[in-house]
Amino acid sequence: MIGSRQRALIEFALDNLVWFMLAIVLVVFSLTIPNFLQIGIFANIVEQSTFVGVMAIGLAIVIIGGHMDLSVESVAALTAMVTGMLFCSHGIGLDLSLSPEWLVVPVSLVISLVVGGLLGAMNGWLVVKLKMNAFIVTLASYIWVRGLVVAISGGRSAQGLSPPLRSMGIETFIYIPLIAWIAIACFALFTFIMGRTPFGRHITMIGGNAVATFRAGIRVDRLVVISFILAGAIAGLAGWLLAIRTSGATANLGTGMLFNAFAAVVIGGVSLKGGVGRLPGVYAGVLLLSSIHTAINLMGLPAHYTQVILGVLVLAAVLLDTVKLSIRQRLT
Amino acid sequence: MKRKLAALAGLLAFAALALIHPAYADSKGKIYYMVPTLLDEFQTESVSAIEKFLKDVGYEPITLNADNKTDLQQSQMNDTITLKPAAIILAAVDFNALQPSIEKARAAGIPVMEFDRQITATKSDFTSVAGTVEIGQVAAGEIQRLLKAKNGDVKGKILQVLGDPADPYTLDIQKGFEEKMKEFAGVQIISLPAMQWAADNAGTIVSDQMVANPDIDLIFVHAAHLAVAAVASLEAKGKKPGEVMLVSSNGAPVGLDLIRKGWEQVEVEQPLYAQAAAIAMFADKVVNKQEIKPGNYKVLGLDSVVTIESWGPNIKIPGAAITKDNVDEPRFWGNLKAPADKITPVE
Repeated sequence: MIGSRQRALIEFALDNLVWFMLAIVLVVFSLTIPNFLQIGIFANIVEQSTFVGVMAIGLAIVIIGGHMDLSVESVAALTAMVTGMLFCSHGIGLDLSLSPEWLVVPVSLVISLVVGGLLGAMNGWLVVKLKMNAFIVTLASYIWVRGLVVAISGGRSAQGLSPPLRSMGIETFIYIPLIAWIAIACFALFTFIMGRTPFGRHITMIGGNAVATFRAGIRVDRLVVISFILAGAIAGLAGWLLAIRTSGATANLGTGMLFNAFAAVVIGGVSLKGGVGRLPGVYAGVLLLSSIHTAINLMGLPAHYTQVILGVLVLAAVLLDTVKLSIRQRLT
Repeated sequence: MKRKLAALAGLLAFAALALIHPAYADSKGKIYYMVPTLLDEFQTESVSAIEKFLKDVGYEPITLNADNKTDLQQSQMNDTITLKPAAIILAAVDFNALQPSIEKARAAGIPVMEFDRQITATKSDFTSVAGTVEIGQVAAGEIQRLLKAKNGDVKGKILQVLGDPADPYTLDIQKGFEEKMKEFAGVQIISLPAMQWAADNAGTIVSDQMVANPDIDLIFVHAAHLAVAAVASLEAKGKKPGEVMLVSSNGAPVGLDLIRKGWEQVEVEQPLYAQAAAIAMFADKVVNKQEIKPGNYKVLGLDSVVTIESWGPNIKIPGAAITKDNVDEPRFWGNLKAPADKITPVE
């Protein structure tokens, strides 16, 4: 017979399992890999988690709502290229200037959010109004939006980002760049939205059982479209941050991030069936992946090991999820 | 239902418009150019250059993009063979995997010319290259010069950022570079790949390595667009231009801009315009199956040598080391000033 204190401890461990995994991994790497245990390396891990992390927020919201969005990587690439083309001074950059100069920051951000949101709205409309399968719709978007990036850029790159924008990638606060703080703020904001607002609760209910949610009088279609718009806009933000980090944009920017975002979402405990998942876990998943990437960089292992380890981690996360469910069932 | 049909009709109309090609009058025939990817400025500009130069000599160029996918390029080759073009120009995604496709095309009577990526395992009708291994060697020579100037001798720590490790192009550059550097025991090379040639991956590598190895003297990246992200990471770590030396290869506009700003010291250029011009100059000989004589040729003013190798006639055009002293010369494709004079076929 398990006491209530032990039960609470087990529940706490199950709810935060990925954070425990992260802590263990960081300790092991610090003890075994030369040069790993440094503030600069930990700051790098947080910084490198920015782009996949932000992308994973939108992806997680859509998955929790019972759907799928494979277009987030291409949307991020498009908004990065749009930012680069408008506000870079070299390559295909148009070197648009605003007065006062700091206006380029909010203006470029709004443009990225709008472009991403519009693409998300298109995905949502096709899924909700035309009743098309979200996997197929967003897979098509993944392909044609990346094609659009190549088309508008002509395969060329933009570089030399406007100084006020570039400063967001250079300036730090407590060793961490401002762009990473933006990602942390996004996680905090959307954790609140998903956990404490009617929107978040309703999205989770829709993911669990859309029919029952509809019969409860909740406007399911509208909320699903909003979730796709949010995913698109957040992916747009990720692209904006990427352009700042690389001081420009290339046509293949962000390639491969979709898989990492997906892996982080699954490792973070979001169920692919919908209706289950919390964003803090997703952030821990992103940090875990970044830590492994950094460790592989420092160890000098061939980068293919990253792919192998990522795949094994995703499998382990799904297995752990099954084990967690059966432990919870035994507790009740 | 009506909405779905309307959406479908709209999509089909868009696709039909996208497939319309203009016709070319009085053409000597169609030549297909199989470009490996359009995500790289070198490849993008190669399309413009090859198409322009082929039109100069009277051919109708058609470009197919393989999007870095070997299986796609193989199927493009198969489809193109059925269309019986005058010739095929191939820049292979995977050198070995395209060998059967080259042999199939030649067996069908279609000549195949190799552009930029030299395939030695089978015969082609003409090959125009700078030599990827040679690019690595030129980079090594320049890096030796830079290290000696900085440290008094060829010694120090180099971070080598490769492209995608599945791409033979980057592996060849690495081979040429490391071959030339191995005699210098005082040089330590840390080599890491930027997966899928993604600039953000290069930025991450530089960011981590500058923390783990703050005594890195020089960074060597295998493409100029990776150099941009590398510079962004150096800047974020508080470095100033020239504090950590930077060498890149391929000669893209971004690399030349970085030289002008002082971040980059050397860009090893692939002579794209000359390589493409050579293809056009010898196109008549290849299409008409005439003998190509070995010897010295001037290609856009560059002294180039044609030799007859086991894989067929091969023209090698020297790559140049671009520094701040010569960065504005129009002959470098990174300045995007394609030669205006018409290319004339070799007699």
